[in-house]
Amino acid sequence: MEVLETIFNVSLISATLRTTAPILLVALGGTFTTKAGIFNIGLEGQMLIGAFFAVLGSIWTQSAWGGVAIGVLAAMCVALTFSIFVVTLRANEVVVGLALNILAGGLTITLTKAIFGTRGSIVSGDIVGLPRMHIPIVEDLGSLGKALGSFTPLIYLAFIFVFVVWVIIYRTRLGLHIRVAGEKPAAAESLGIPTGLMQHIASLLCGLFAGLAGAHLSLGYITMFAENMSSGRGFMAVAVLIFSIGDPVKVLFGCLLFGFADALSLRLQTFGLSSYLVLTVPYLVTLGALFLLTYRQRPKTLRETAESLQLIRREKA
Amino acid sequence: MSTEADTTPTARAGRQLPAWLEGLLGQMVALVIAIIGGGIIVMLVGEDPILVFTTLLRGAFGSSERIAGSLLQATPIIIAGVAACIALRGGLFNIGVEGQLYMGGFAAAFVGFQFALPAGLHMVVALAAAVVAGGLWILIPAFFRARFGTNEVVSTILSNYVAILLTSYLTIDVFKRPGGWSETAPIATTAYLPQLFDFSRLNFGLFIGLALAVGFHLFLTRTSTGYEMNTMGSNMKFAEYGGIPVRRNILIVLLCSGAVGGLAGGVETLGVHHRFMEGFAPGFGFDGVIAALLANGSPIGVIFTAIFFGALRAGSLLMEVETNASREVITVFQAFIILCVSAQVLLRRRRDSNQGERRWRF
Amino acid sequence: MAFAVEMIGVSKNFGPVAANRDVSFGVRHGEIHALVGENGAGKTTLMNILFGLMQPDSGEIQIDGKPVVMESPRTSIGLGLGMVHQHFKLVPSLTVAENIFLGMEITKAGLVDHKAQSAKARALSEEFGLQIDPDRKIHELSVGAEQRVEILKVLARGANVVILDEPTAVLTPQESRDLFRIIRRFADAGMTVIFISHHLSEVLEVSDTVTVLRDGAVVGTRPTKELDEDSLVNMMVGREVNFDRRDRKPISGHAILELRDVFARDDRGLPALRGIDLEVRSGEIVGIVGVDGNGQTELSEVVSGLRAPSHGEIFLNGQAVEGSDPRHMRAAGLAHVPANRLVRGVNATANISANILMGRQRSEPWAKNGLIRWSAVRDLARELMQRFDIRARDENVTVKTLSGGNMQKVVVAREFSQHMPLILIDQPTRGVDIGAMEGIHDEIIQRRDAGAAILLISVQIDEILALADRVFVMFAGSIAGAVDPENTTEEEIGYLMAGGSRSSDQAA
Repeated sequence: MEVLETIFNVSLISATLRTTAPILLVALGGTFTTKAGIFNIGLEGQMLIGAFFAVLGSIWTQSAWGGVAIGVLAAMCVALTFSIFVVTLRANEVVVGLALNILAGGLTITLTKAIFGTRGSIVSGDIVGLPRMHIPIVEDLGSLGKALGSFTPLIYLAFIFVFVVWVIIYRTRLGLHIRVAGEKPAAAESLGIPTGLMQHIASLLCGLFAGLAGAHLSLGYITMFAENMSSGRGFMAVAVLIFSIGDPVKVLFGCLLFGFADALSLRLQTFGLSSYLVLTVPYLVTLGALFLLTYRQRPKTLRETAESLQLIRREKA
Repeated sequence: MSTEADTTPTARAGRQLPAWLEGLLGQMVALVIAIIGGGIIVMLVGEDPILVFTTLLRGAFGSSERIAGSLLQATPIIIAGVAACIALRGGLFNIGVEGQLYMGGFAAAFVGFQFALPAGLHMVVALAAAVVAGGLWILIPAFFRARFGTNEVVSTILSNYVAILLTSYLTIDVFKRPGGWSETAPIATTAYLPQLFDFSRLNFGLFIGLALAVGFHLFLTRTSTGYEMNTMGSNMKFAEYGGIPVRRNILIVLLCSGAVGGLAGGVETLGVHHRFMEGFAPGFGFDGVIAALLANGSPIGVIFTAIFFGALRAGSLLMEVETNASREVITVFQAFIILCVSAQVLLRRRRDSNQGERRWRF
Repeated sequence: MAFAVEMIGVSKNFGPVAANRDVSFGVRHGEIHALVGENGAGKTTLMNILFGLMQPDSGEIQIDGKPVVMESPRTSIGLGLGMVHQHFKLVPSLTVAENIFLGMEITKAGLVDHKAQSAKARALSEEFGLQIDPDRKIHELSVGAEQRVEILKVLARGANVVILDEPTAVLTPQESRDLFRIIRRFADAGMTVIFISHHLSEVLEVSDTVTVLRDGAVVGTRPTKELDEDSLVNMMVGREVNFDRRDRKPISGHAILELRDVFARDDRGLPALRGIDLEVRSGEIVGIVGVDGNGQTELSEVVSGLRAPSHGEIFLNGQAVEGSDPRHMRAAGLAHVPANRLVRGVNATANISANILMGRQRSEPWAKNGLIRWSAVRDLARELMQRFDIRARDENVTVKTLSGGNMQKVVVAREFSQHMPLILIDQPTRGVDIGAMEGIHDEIIQRRDAGAAILLISVQIDEILALADRVFVMFAGSIAGAVDPENTTEEEIGYLMAGGSRSSDQAA
């Protein structure tokens, strides 16, 4: 009991929100491409590029937000490359996504060595991290409030963006046109809505959020860049997108689940469990959720019951 | 009567280059563009591209030792590439070759250091263990893909992370050699794959890879089952309509793909490292997938693309010593090639109808 | 006075195939202008060019006498053109109002104003007498209602030239008549209507002027009152076509296929087949007609094993078929020509031999000991190419380079040559030229005379009436009634297709 209490306490909640934020940001980006009918496994690479250039930008501009802006721009460049290949040149989206992920991994390591002369990571006092916020009223609400009132800003933004993305997708013309481009391109084309342009825009919006996710990793979550530091979060986001069909609210719940698994695994490490095993937890939870939810969405072979038969027969008559 | 529709395709076919030649030309153009793109990146990081490329070439082919080194690097890529080809030709993606390779590598090492068996037999049993481990590692994603249509791209990618962490756990927390680095005890010499030359660790695994590639090619073109699999990969709905048991075949194709992926790891362990080391084969699985894509799913083509990638790897080692460029430059280069090929072949396809194309084809 | 729409010397090629050749014709203000021609004559391509969905290789378009360039549908919509496509371009998950105002949404503070859109859609539908609930989702609507939404879309954009591409293909004769009334109302109100069809009777009934296309070129433009059915057919085909019925045979064989009280659900889980009883005997052709979407697709899927019935029994060759698997059905004696050859019927990237091999890859002499004997397969392919008149250089030609008719003949050749006791044929001649069509019809009759039981499903009523020995009409997932192909009338079939039933309602 005591053990459970030490595991499940206030700091676990705050850790969950902290670990949810990066995957939520990148998954929110993916909602745009998912709705636009693009299967985007390039999220991972966009996030990694975002993380790397955010650190670089932070050092160059000596400003955390300058770093975020440069990280986002870099991720959007990758996103644009993705959509040029997939939409304009009609290349296979899995192949292009895979190639860009590999490119991101290789490029960040190459540039790290070229610029900093180190292998694998950038740790430097010159990196300006994102400041913690201090929200006075929330901070005064006991220990939970203290934990929730002093995150770095992108964590709050991530949760606010759920609503923003929802409004963009379901209530604006842009969102409507993106959805139509994904669901029924022929309808869009016949009314002069440029589906290609919509898909490019969706991809760029995706890059924007993936870049924010990356910047949060390297400037908010911790203040450093490490080789492959996105460590599969982009792929987890793709899994979330598959079973949420790109709906921002469902995306939020999916991401909270993985954030919780992530936070729990970090917590479990302090109990002397093998860190390697504990680190598998988020991946296993993602895989488990993916399998379970696609099992539930499986096409069912229906058999009529006596009642349903009667109903259909009556309808007919 | 639409006479022009009846005669022109024939006339057009006569003017076209043979498909394989046109494909090859396409890959060559892509390669040239990728070399230019890679050169620009090299310049951006402040190196001389000519120097970097010549160093790469010298590192890959500069002497018989270096050529053997290239083939040594190519060996696991050929096998992993065949693994990826198996999935691709069945119309599926196995991006989890990396994970299967780790599991296979560990399983082979485990049999190698845990049991005492006669020479030769020991090796065969260890390789069999690698095959089984690779197959088991893809079993759940394969089952869910076949039965419920769960996207295998994501499930196999994510299982890579689990495999790498799990083998690290087994190596460091369970089977760590006392006093050693992050590695298991060495395997018994009875399980070694024979070396081909005394100046290189190049081993019999190369022939395993070549035999697999040629064997898979013959399987696809000559056997009834290969015909069914290839048809399934070209048009899943046609295969289903024609009475091919598609769901069962999806399971079998992915299991075989995973098993060969496991074998790649076993060969690497038994032929090169003679123990399991954490991070013993970084990226070989991914290189295999890319090699298979670059070869457009052709197992014979994989032999060449894998040797090409192996040479790049071997060359990059020398390049890192003699220049300031990081060896990861070659992954950037590989990514460029794949991007160029994906777009370039596509440009060719846009002339034709793109219906009924393979799902993965680019 | 200038034409409302005029196309001058328009040509369009797809690769080596000429879809339109130097097409010139004009449409006057306030007239209903029919554009007729066989499948593949280039009607749809021409209208796509006019509407800006495709660019012509050469030629000019004039609207009200002024030359214009239709860069995209946006241009043509701006010039007052509106198109109702043959395949509806509606978004299933959106409401009627959202679809009507797609691309010209009414917004308030940057957000889409659903209330205003709904009100405006309702007003519009009342103005033109097109009954529709603007807040329903498209996927809940009937086909006729979807077409009304398409027409409202056009009207909401202020179109004064309305193009209708094969509007009656998906409608019952009664629904078609309603549509014609609406079209006439448009013309009376001064709007111009261009109407694409290959149904001669409705062209003669509804249009003022007719332009005939053949092989991508204009044969002529005439006032409708100068034409009759024979002269129109002559213009369309360039020769007399004998659509006479084939010989029928007294039915003698035993039952090969039996469906007993079969129910099935569609992909959305809604009832699609409701208690089908059907028997197909050896040596007869049973025809199924009906408006598209009344369960024919599901019937064909259930018989071919691609869809599991939710209730009922299926017997093939006297044995009950368990589960749903094309493999079991084929093993029990099924051959199947599917509705969409590119989706299911061929492996388009493989050559003719490899396509012919399907279904034989495990039987001698084409395979032995698990190995394929390609020389035997190639011999068979060559033989079938000759017998079925498949026109290609040789058996190594990739199937996707073949024309629609030749590709269909590859499918027919493969399936018919397996001499199965049951042949299921879904839309045998969709998108096939007339020459190939006659060849395919000959083969169907030949298989019947050889004793095969044939289940023939087609949306082409004339095709069914020409071939079938017994004909059933499907409506809403059940068999609405049987008609006698020798003596039936279009009215009788139309009545059944629209859901009417008869006192003598007996199936099978």
